Amino acid sequence: MSGDALLHIKNLRTSFLMSDGVVQAVRGVDLSVKRGEFLGIVGESGCGKSVTMLSVMGLLPDNAAIKADTLTFDGKDLLSASPREMRSIHGDEIGMIFQDPMTSLDPLFTIGNQLMEPLRIHRKMSASEAERRAAETLEMVGISSPAQRLKQYPHEFSGGMRQRVMIAIAMSCSPKLLIADEPTTALDVTIQAQILELMKDMKEKSGTAVVLITHDLGVIASVCSRVVVMYGGLIMEEGECGDIFYDPLHPYTKGLLASVSGMGSGEKKKLVPIPGSPPDLMNPPDGCPFAARCAFAMKICAAATPKLTNRGGRLAACWMLRRKLTA
Amino acid sequence: MNGELLKISDLKMYFRVRDVSSWLGAHRSLKAVDGVSFGIGRGRTFGLVGESGCGKTTVGRTALRLYRPTDGSIIFDGADIAGLSDKEFFPYRRKMQMIFQDPFTSLDPRQTVGDIIGTPLTVHHLVSNRSERAERVKELINMVGLRSDHIGRYPHEFSGGQRQRIGIARALATMPEFIVCDEPVSALDVSIQAQIINLLEEFQEKFGITYLFISHDLSVVRHISHRVGVMYLGRLVEAGEVNELYENMLHPYTKSLMSAVPAADPEAAKTRRRIILEGDVPSPLDPPSGCPFRTRCREASAVCAEQTPPLVDVRSGHMAACHKLSIKG
Repeated sequence: MSGDALLHIKNLRTSFLMSDGVVQAVRGVDLSVKRGEFLGIVGESGCGKSVTMLSVMGLLPDNAAIKADTLTFDGKDLLSASPREMRSIHGDEIGMIFQDPMTSLDPLFTIGNQLMEPLRIHRKMSASEAERRAAETLEMVGISSPAQRLKQYPHEFSGGMRQRVMIAIAMSCSPKLLIADEPTTALDVTIQAQILELMKDMKEKSGTAVVLITHDLGVIASVCSRVVVMYGGLIMEEGECGDIFYDPLHPYTKGLLASVSGMGSGEKKKLVPIPGSPPDLMNPPDGCPFAARCAFAMKICAAATPKLTNRGGRLAACWMLRRKLTA
Repeated sequence: MNGELLKISDLKMYFRVRDVSSWLGAHRSLKAVDGVSFGIGRGRTFGLVGESGCGKTTVGRTALRLYRPTDGSIIFDGADIAGLSDKEFFPYRRKMQMIFQDPFTSLDPRQTVGDIIGTPLTVHHLVSNRSERAERVKELINMVGLRSDHIGRYPHEFSGGQRQRIGIARALATMPEFIVCDEPVSALDVSIQAQIINLLEEFQEKFGITYLFISHDLSVVRHISHRVGVMYLGRLVEAGEVNELYENMLHPYTKSLMSAVPAADPEAAKTRRRIILEGDVPSPLDPPSGCPFRTRCREASAVCAEQTPPLVDVRSGHMAACHKLSIKG
């Protein structure tokens, strides 16, 4: 499996040192991203989904401590990479799109300047060459009259347009992996549909692997082929998109799906919320992080953390599944 | 259903903004709400949907007289409150409350939960002494699913969902007949959203409260509303009973808006044909002539640029504002 894996993460633990304690944001995550796949990471705020990918990128503040057994990207060990080596990977082999298109572009530089930067640095292009390529990428993401647009500043673009520019910058060096952290959360639904369509299109054309981080199950369902569900700094379930939505194994995934009000159903069903709130990661519970909110919790759930178990090719971390296996 | 509690007719809310492109700093008017009419039946929920900047929040705030409307009438319980002075309006404030979107900024960080919920009780003379107030605060806090020992704490000690419960308790304190819920669950995680929605529904059943539920989330609106209105660029483009509207969409904007919502269903996502709108919403400072949606509408014709289509009753209460529909019959 790790043979064709582009990104291989084993036992990733990321914690933040705060003034009043240590927050264990990611508590042992194993994850592989295959070449050219569209992977979704879904979970609620504070579940560790963003921190996992930011750890890979090495884009965390100084108070963060990253530990892992393995962290390789395309055969390169990221744990031992120097800042200089990391910089040569950023924007070249791994592109990243952030949530807020309003703050992720520099307001003092033109769009052209920001688009040409990775091309000049990583591809060592001449100014005129980079400008031509920048105009091409801008056109590719659906921005008309690119030559004029290159001379404009971010404030002259709408939110949806800025997110297109972000995608253009991230894709300009044809990266092997694109990490998109809530790329459509700040956008309206009609603009979100445009951006998702664009990302799907770009992925198909370039063969780039995409990791999409979101809290929106609808977004996952419309673009991803494989899904990872995270909760309390751990992976709860992992599998093909269809399996996760139609036949979820983990009680948390089931709860998450039940609390979404569907658009299709004319019948008014009562929403089934998950009671309580997510665990405090400064003092994480001993056992399964979901045990306190789980309707099926047993004694063992509070005592020991279940490992991701393979069940017919699908992975879930729940004691109920393990018990069935051994029984 | 016994009559309408709130009836808004031809409501207009214009804001004066400085024209930065003009040397002398001339003022222009931004037509945030431009002729919106709808009614809400007693004990029912009217859902107002639309994208950011369409004027849905302004409608909600104007209905509560947080703004003084430019034109139009707001009939609440038989009386027009649109032109009342602040003093004349005061008795109505008790009956009309609001739940805000952001549970982090809508609670005063320097007040305890007890003070936040207790202040409206004191302001509206609903309690005669301290012990009565403490008793009522306790009752309210338990009602929204928090514990009595939470009363002395400050907002920062609570999670987003818990803070939204505090906001709801504050709105319920004056026993209002009408509550404007402005994106009450948008800032919350899905598992928490369902808790809050159920809570709002429970209070409607118990106290017969009427809601104006403002949201950009079409599935949440479908779930909670009896009647729904769709806004675009300051105008209501379609309105109808919830199932009728969601199943027989009439306006091209509503159709594209609904088709843009990603359903949590991968199979449906593969088969469904999406209408992807091109471009962005035009600036409300410089709206297009005629129909506001015509610049992004695939079915637009010459008449759309000339005349603004009125909101007409297409079939028994299902209304839409589109020239296509009036031509057909």
